[in-house]
Amino acid sequence: MSDAASGRSRASTLTLFLGPALALLVITRLAPFAVSIKQAFGGDESVGAVLAALWDSPNFIDSVGTTLWFSLLINPFQIALALGLAVVLTQKLPGTGILRTLIFIPVAVPPAVSAIVWGLALRNPDGLVNGVLSAVGFEPQPFLLAPEQALWSIIVIASWIGVGYWMVLLIAGIQDVPRDLLEAGLVDGAGWWRRFWHITVPALRRPLLFVLVADTVANFLLFVPVQLLTRGGPDGSTNLLMHDIYRQAFVYGDRQFAAAEVVVLILLMMVVVGVQMRLLGPEEDL
Amino acid sequence: MSAFDPYAARSTPVRALLFVAAVGAALLFVAPIIWIVSGALRDGDEILRYATPFQLRTVVPESWTIGNLVALVQGPFLRAIVNSLLVATVSVVLGLVINAMAAFAFATMRFRGRNLLFSVVVFSFLIPFEVLAVPLSEAVRAMELDNSYVALIVPGVGHGLVIFMLRQFFLAIPEDLREAAAVDGAGWWTIFRRIYLPLSGPALISAGLLLFLFQWQTYLWPLLITTDRSMDVAPIALARFFGQYDVDYGQLFAGSLVLSLIPAMLLLRFQRNYTESVSRTGVKG
Repeated sequence: MSDAASGRSRASTLTLFLGPALALLVITRLAPFAVSIKQAFGGDESVGAVLAALWDSPNFIDSVGTTLWFSLLINPFQIALALGLAVVLTQKLPGTGILRTLIFIPVAVPPAVSAIVWGLALRNPDGLVNGVLSAVGFEPQPFLLAPEQALWSIIVIASWIGVGYWMVLLIAGIQDVPRDLLEAGLVDGAGWWRRFWHITVPALRRPLLFVLVADTVANFLLFVPVQLLTRGGPDGSTNLLMHDIYRQAFVYGDRQFAAAEVVVLILLMMVVVGVQMRLLGPEEDL
Repeated sequence: MSAFDPYAARSTPVRALLFVAAVGAALLFVAPIIWIVSGALRDGDEILRYATPFQLRTVVPESWTIGNLVALVQGPFLRAIVNSLLVATVSVVLGLVINAMAAFAFATMRFRGRNLLFSVVVFSFLIPFEVLAVPLSEAVRAMELDNSYVALIVPGVGHGLVIFMLRQFFLAIPEDLREAAAVDGAGWWTIFRRIYLPLSGPALISAGLLLFLFQWQTYLWPLLITTDRSMDVAPIALARFFGQYDVDYGQLFAGSLVLSLIPAMLLLRFQRNYTESVSRTGVKG
């Protein structure tokens, strides 16, 4: 076979193997990204003018603020809860396997189902959660209907879905902590808390960073419970960016504004994740 | 003290306390599931009537019935479940073949521009699909592909993370195997089909699970591109049901149960597989 012919057959083999997947990724991932940038900033107005329009929209600023505040509340909460559960469920307690499974099960529930069921559970005054509150003597709470409680309700719903998943990943991390390190700590007379803080936590840095980054991204994209239960309200208290993008594009029909929001959301996510990696993960490790 | 265990706290009262905390947490996580199951198997009117104040009746039906499930499969929800199954199954089959082929090329072939093309793959999973769904849906509507199975399936087929995961797995397969087969005259396709795929069962299972869950749980994408009720996937049909003025809560809970049961069975069966491969690609790198 001549070089040219084998070159051609090599090229066609490569196209056969790589072509379909790459074409799909370009069509469904890269092209929409490029189109968003073009739609947002490719018009007659300058980039500065588009950004100024975003900045001048009180709705947009509120939505970014709500998204950042939500992110600041939910990520530490979920990770602390997942880590706490992971630690407790690696103590060789009786029934550990069943307990892990029970906490993991909500991961399987599709987001639309969890939003709907939690929407009913949080109903005022006749939902399940108010039922539990009244059984122990508390007043019924408005939850999703009150501006000061709605975002917290969304946090509870999202955490019910997500925490089991992060917990399982952290359990895998804890089980990978080298036994001899822990045994050495024990021989040196370090108590449980010192062993946990000085041996387990440093050894968990990589899984924790992964969980933090993945959790942050997932929560920046939270959409389903907002769309189904609060539509951003009451008083804009749950108007997270993903929902605002959807509303700008499909309720108000302002495509350019929505596209600009998409670009801002992606940048915001990249900055926050970049900061997290910078602070928590030395570069040679990533 | 029995077996030596460096992980565990040792004093008995502390362990008892931890156990109580763990059981309490597990109950909180599982309570809504119990509510779904009992709601699906009772008369719809009972669900909220007994929700407050909390009592045994909240979770134990007055009378058990499968009427909700029967009514569900007689209504439009059946079509939605079939749509979801169809979309998810086609995506898994096509996605496994197409992503595994790309992963195989990245893992075994040397060619110019490989790193550049691979960075396209990495980039594609760093930017999550949800953010791109809105702009992509506009293109789909412009091409008049909305309300089609093609539009429902295509975004779930090419999956950067699956390519990445399978490539990691393929890289661990010894090169000697490939070279020996090549000496025997096997072409790339034979090597892929006869050597790489059979050795990659666990990786393919978790890749398949990832692809399945992506489609089974998707909500935003079908919301954007389907208006025709006959094209509803199950989560959308359930949400429409929920939005009706006069909701039949029994059927709503029955639908919730069916929608959750299918992925729950798959996840419980393959949980180890799934979390191990996610933690291998993500956590341990």
